[in-house]
Amino acid sequence: MSEIANYKVASSPHKLDGANTRRIMLDVLIALLPCLVCGVVYFGLYALLLVVICMAASFASEQIYNLIRKKPVTTDLSALVTGLILGLNLPPRAPWYIPLIGGVFAIVIIKMLFGGLGKNFANPAAAARVFLLLAYSTAMTSFIGADPGNLIADGSTGATYLSGGAAVLADSFLGVGGYWGNVLQLFFGNVGGSIGETCKLAVLAGGGYLLVRRVIDWRIPLVYVLTASVFALFLWNSAQEVLLQLFSGGLLFGAFFMATDYATSPKWKINRILYAFGLGAITMVIRRFGNYPEGTSLAILFMNLLVPAMDKFLIPVRFGQRTKKGTPKPAVMAWCMRGLCMALAAALAVGTPLIAVAEYGRPAEKELAASFRYIQSMALDRRGNYYFTVQGSAKITENYTQALEYDVKIDTQKGVVSEIVPVTQSTMGYTAELSLFVGKTYAEVAALTDLSTDAETSATLTNTALQDMVEECFLAADFDKNRLHTEDAYTYIIDAVRSELFGGTTYLAAGVADLSEYNYQQPLLYYISVEGNKISSIVPLVQSTMGYMAELSFFVGKTQQEIASLSDLSADSDTSATRTNAALKEMTLECLAVAGGGRA
Amino acid sequence: MLITFANGVHPKGCKQRTAGQPIGRGPDPKAVYVPLSQHIGKPALPVVEAGDRVRCGQLIGRADKELSANVYSPVSGTVKGVVGHITLSGKKADHILIENDFLDEKTFLPPLAERTRESVLARIAEAGIVGMGGAAFPTAAKLGTDKKIDILLVNGAECEPYITCDERIMLEYTDQLSEGIRLCMLACGADRAVIGIENNKKAAAAKLARVSGTGISVRVLKTKYPQGAEKQLVYSCTKRVIPENCLPADIGVLVVNVHTALAVYRAVEENTPCYERVMTVSGKRVDRPSNIWVKNGTPYRDIAEFCGAHEDCERIVSGGPMMGEPVFSLKICTGKGTSSLLFLDESECVSKRAEPCIGCGRCVQACPMGLSPVFIERALFDKNYKEAGDFGAEYCIGCGCCSYVCPAKRFLVQSVKLAKKILRQRRAKDEEERRAASEKNGEGVNRADV
Repeated sequence: MSEIANYKVASSPHKLDGANTRRIMLDVLIALLPCLVCGVVYFGLYALLLVVICMAASFASEQIYNLIRKKPVTTDLSALVTGLILGLNLPPRAPWYIPLIGGVFAIVIIKMLFGGLGKNFANPAAAARVFLLLAYSTAMTSFIGADPGNLIADGSTGATYLSGGAAVLADSFLGVGGYWGNVLQLFFGNVGGSIGETCKLAVLAGGGYLLVRRVIDWRIPLVYVLTASVFALFLWNSAQEVLLQLFSGGLLFGAFFMATDYATSPKWKINRILYAFGLGAITMVIRRFGNYPEGTSLAILFMNLLVPAMDKFLIPVRFGQRTKKGTPKPAVMAWCMRGLCMALAAALAVGTPLIAVAEYGRPAEKELAASFRYIQSMALDRRGNYYFTVQGSAKITENYTQALEYDVKIDTQKGVVSEIVPVTQSTMGYTAELSLFVGKTYAEVAALTDLSTDAETSATLTNTALQDMVEECFLAADFDKNRLHTEDAYTYIIDAVRSELFGGTTYLAAGVADLSEYNYQQPLLYYISVEGNKISSIVPLVQSTMGYMAELSFFVGKTQQEIASLSDLSADSDTSATRTNAALKEMTLECLAVAGGGRA
Repeated sequence: MLITFANGVHPKGCKQRTAGQPIGRGPDPKAVYVPLSQHIGKPALPVVEAGDRVRCGQLIGRADKELSANVYSPVSGTVKGVVGHITLSGKKADHILIENDFLDEKTFLPPLAERTRESVLARIAEAGIVGMGGAAFPTAAKLGTDKKIDILLVNGAECEPYITCDERIMLEYTDQLSEGIRLCMLACGADRAVIGIENNKKAAAAKLARVSGTGISVRVLKTKYPQGAEKQLVYSCTKRVIPENCLPADIGVLVVNVHTALAVYRAVEENTPCYERVMTVSGKRVDRPSNIWVKNGTPYRDIAEFCGAHEDCERIVSGGPMMGEPVFSLKICTGKGTSSLLFLDESECVSKRAEPCIGCGRCVQACPMGLSPVFIERALFDKNYKEAGDFGAEYCIGCGCCSYVCPAKRFLVQSVKLAKKILRQRRAKDEEERRAASEKNGEGVNRADV
């Protein structure tokens, strides 16, 4: 038709938003840069190499797949995004082939075989990470400690907070000690973990950038973090745990960069709230009860599988939609999700102070200064009560040894045992007579001689074992409460104590009886008191259980010169006690020297 | 917080180019091709023949029975006949070709003696007024509803980018407009009128608020597309939701465009029938962007020459950039519903190939009707029309928000419209079959009775 001119014609709308796929992917890459930089600063250039291998493997496998399938070369940057996210998810010292396998798996198996960009059923990075975790468990769970600024050297192996607990964290960070130091350390990412996920500051910076650019929906990270907080609060029954959990592992990284993956998250904003709630709940349940220390990628993978069903069955109420009866269709889903968010926020707002107050009075786990014979763990509450878990045994017959475990509570205000709870003891009725100990002081317990409660000997043996345990608890509590925290380095002395149980200055001293010809080193632990330049008392805590015990009378009541001049330390024909005595001699000498020096 | 509706998008306004341009006279074309079908419904029947001399404002096409509208000559001159001429849809339609003699002899409708509902409605029908916002629904049929109307909504939202004709009308014809609104209220029996104006037209809103008296109030709405869409405007202004498959009149509301209200005023008070309208000519490829009175039937080429538009532009659009139609020939002529002509360059419109859907869900968040365009498109490609229906394809208003936000530049609104069309066809077919089946059964029963 001559009337038709050669104008360009296209269907409306003629104006389009500036966003496009490439730009979105570029934004994600930009947002991940801080994580990458922090990962390299903390874990060295090898980490960068891993990430680069992973990105290259992802990109190349996508193009090769296109070549084989005779499809056009893809120019969107999504393969690089997948590679970068997966690379940042790897342990910093993974072998070089791990990112290679992971990248190819993520792109070919998870993405391209299911139809390419936007058609994958699961987040490629999360699926590949889980695959690697199952296939290369050791390589994928061997982390190193962070070493800021050291770009080349191999880091020392170290656990993450999730697998190792608070013990892997430094005592203080940036001059802040205790709990808040731990939180800060986790926040700045100066801990072991995957390359890109440790530094929460970088994750938040990148996530904030994506939120500002409106690349990701704020609902997913916000509800994810909110749900995870509430679950952490109640599953651990601890307000302190909330921040520790949020700032450890890949939770924040996953919340901002992996859970928000377009293809595998719900399309309707209200469904995204449900999706993020599921993510938070599953992550925390796995972390608390599961076999794996970290649950983020598993949770993302699991919720990804629910997304198609959510998209199909939970659909938005249309504007003006009516029910069959002709009444306006209620927006049930929207109201439910609003209610859920409010309930979560309320639970967090109310629960945190309540649990924090309860937690304030709760005994806190304390590290043991030395390895004791019976004490397995020690906790202290704010009223000065010490809580011990002790394990020991009573040898009933030649062939039968009864394992014993008790929880002992020592009230250091009153100086008495306030409670003993049997955990493991005889099930045949030969149980310890707790009334012998409860309410007694150290002196009273130590002075107990008649421990037979009935005609049977076994309960007597149990009682005797328990007496030893309780005494050890008293000494451990005394040491922990009254130790002087001297800074000096000693050979044997762990610390000096202004003991409430013994006069003068008391030292906890640890040593070793050298029995190397028997291939054995007998650890020794004594509680040595010095008064008036003399050894006033020695209480053995750990020494041979086979009868080769130190002869305390060699030392008690003696001065430094007297002990130094001791030459014959053999208490009996066996050499081992001699060795023990020899070690104890050195310990006592050190104690006397320190006590003398201190007075001078 | 400004009142508004849910979802929607925020395209750049681009109105500054013409917002300050007073409405001027448009081109005086040598010949006009007046379409006989400038409205929804049946085309008008020509009442002139080749060789007739007509004056400006003389009836040349009489409304057919049922839904239709009168057509008037916009110029004085000689009728050259009823000719087939190309239209925006690509089909040829009957136009009346009139050669302009530039004498500009005018003729008017007889003065209206009384102002009753019936007489005003009759005058609106006589003057051939249709909805000037773009839909071109005959106004007399709309205002003459027998349903109880308590609010007349006047659409001054003008949410499409570039277009400023309504804004200029509100600023320059404020008094006439408020009088026109009163006449519309009289015609539909509403005792209250609300003028909805987006807050990027504060001057117009303030000016209207000053002159509007009892019964007429101004609502300033958030600037968001599609604020001027009927259902969205009704919700924004009254918080009433128009149920699906219902008209605004069903909930006691009628919506008229400001230009329509002005046309009603001109027909009733100035006895001028509807044969010209204000148009915005804009876009970067126009040297003199302007708001002008354009006679119906003016070829686009005359407008382009009048405003100094360059033909070699990326795209020419009749109507707004969001819902307007592309122009493939400047021989096409304007009608009563043509609100603007845009000459866009490369920076103003996107012609990109569609990429794979990345599933971002922005279309779901943008759809003001609460549909899920991404799933409708997928269902359409799978030929799973039932699922497309489940996601609401039939209730698409065609606003184009989904295509606008799509980062993969997919043709979502086209897919949804196609799904809507197919669903409508299938439903019609189903109903026909059911009717045929029930007739057959009926016959069977009759025969059994015998």
